[in-house]
Amino acid sequence: MEMIVVAPSAPGRIEDLRRRFFARPLQALLSLVSLATMVFLAWKLLNWAIFSAVFTTSGGPEACQAAAGACWSVIAARWRIILFGLYPFEEQWRSALACVAVVVMTVLSCIPAFWTGRRIALVWGVGTALYYVLMKGGMLGLAYVGEEAWGGLALTLFIFVTTCLIGFPLAICLALLRRSELPWISHTTGLIIDGVRSLPLISILFTFAVVLPFALPQWLAGDKLYRVIIGSALFFSAYQAEIVRGGMQGVPKGQEEAAMALGMSYWQRIGRILLPQAMRNALPATINQFVISFKETSLVVIVGFFEILASGNAAYGTGEWRFAYVEVYAFIAFIYFVFVFSLSRYGAFLERRMSVGER
Amino acid sequence: MNSTQSPGAAVRIENLDKYYGSFHALRKINLSVERGERIVVCGPSGSGKSTMIRCINRLEQHNGGRITVLGTELNDDVGNIDGIRREVGMVFQHFNLFPHMTVLENCMLAPMIVRKQPRAEAEATARRYLEKVRIPEQAMKFPGQLSGGQQQRVAIARALCMQPQIMLFDEPTSALDPEMIAEVLDVMVTLASEGMTMICVTHEMGFARRVADRVIFMDGGEIVEEAPPEEFFTSSRNERTRQFLSQVLGH
Repeated sequence: MEMIVVAPSAPGRIEDLRRRFFARPLQALLSLVSLATMVFLAWKLLNWAIFSAVFTTSGGPEACQAAAGACWSVIAARWRIILFGLYPFEEQWRSALACVAVVVMTVLSCIPAFWTGRRIALVWGVGTALYYVLMKGGMLGLAYVGEEAWGGLALTLFIFVTTCLIGFPLAICLALLRRSELPWISHTTGLIIDGVRSLPLISILFTFAVVLPFALPQWLAGDKLYRVIIGSALFFSAYQAEIVRGGMQGVPKGQEEAAMALGMSYWQRIGRILLPQAMRNALPATINQFVISFKETSLVVIVGFFEILASGNAAYGTGEWRFAYVEVYAFIAFIYFVFVFSLSRYGAFLERRMSVGER
Repeated sequence: MNSTQSPGAAVRIENLDKYYGSFHALRKINLSVERGERIVVCGPSGSGKSTMIRCINRLEQHNGGRITVLGTELNDDVGNIDGIRREVGMVFQHFNLFPHMTVLENCMLAPMIVRKQPRAEAEATARRYLEKVRIPEQAMKFPGQLSGGQQQRVAIARALCMQPQIMLFDEPTSALDPEMIAEVLDVMVTLASEGMTMICVTHEMGFARRVADRVIFMDGGEIVEEAPPEEFFTSSRNERTRQFLSQVLGH
């Protein structure tokens, strides 16, 4: 006798839903109640955010306050403060262009085709120079604007990107030093990393912004903004160094031995064999660290910088829009979301790309 | 055959001592390997055979005695170490291919960055050696996509691409499934027949019988016996050697 074996056919979508959520009466009831709650909440949110919301500034704050839904007029009226902070009104196009420069620089350096030493250096060099010239001016016919007037999104992006650009290479150096064969080097590095990690970020920012100028000669101290960036990069690198070191520990010892046996020098082994594999291991935690750092930029308000969150406070804080803080925070949250979510998705893309060749 | 032979042995080991902490891993080892000679090193696990060949390219640092490779003494001079490593290829038990590169890139990397070969030349060499180990069609795959035997053959090709004068094999078939051992041994036999200087740590006694000029038996960090294969397998004088052989060949 011949037997014909047929794989059991997969249930249809409706049948699958019925089995999962409506198999027994009590289960069906719970499913229905949950569904109703979700629909209700979604309706309330949409109603507030869109259907009953006011979008134009024509009626002024009063008409807006009377509306049942969200008052997006506050954004229409105050978006410049949120995005550009205290930057002079007529010059704000420069701040906008500077934001674009930073975003383009970041996006370009995320594209694998730019991952050669020369191209990445070019992108970063041109990007930061463009940002600096646009923001600061004082040359090429642009009016001078001091760092104390920078603010909003442009400042948040600048602090985040420079923190990472300085902090990341520093983290790799610290991680390499910590696994040095010379005990006094590895122990000293370990002390530095653990020391920085045991301090709160706020205290480091405060020290670099306020205390350091007393300790350093004038010419070395530089502007407060750059000291704060150095402080935050140091903080970033202490955490990131441990992430990189963890990634290095995941690379089998045989990899370095094989590279040695082929006659590669220390830096060739680090650059071609150890780091590429270590970074792949460390990628999820690294993206995590980037996300945290992006959000931590809001702490610079402590030392007197108006990054995007503080600019938002200023946007609704002046009299007439005082009632519309929820809308302002929702708007800022949306901006954070766009950047952080893109970062996470990029991390997922990298993970897929790097896992090529693994079974 | 290597035509540019300079005088002297390929490898000369004199009174080699190696300690791991207080453990005496190698005791006063003396060994001389001529150019073109094929040596098989065997012995029970922990006998120091891997440690000894890892000293030859300085994956392990020795604590006493002298090692001279191709006329250059291995000491703390980094230039000497790098120079020797360029001329000495090594194949590991666990292959140690670079998982983030394709098979072809694995073979091209060292010739390009260590020997400064142009890309086209390195690629031609790599393809030639992949042909030689009989897996030219796998060039664009990643190591993780290959079987153990294929990976080990890639590892041999990768070492050969540096065009070394000496090849070290550290238990190259011990991590392989039985059906894959033959394909790796075949490649090694071919290599031996072409006159490569080889030092192989292996338990493949059939291979030793076929290609070795000398078989060396180590135990307890010492060279207990060394003899041509015929003599080694039929009339070894030492009790420890006979016991080891009965264990390896006995079943």
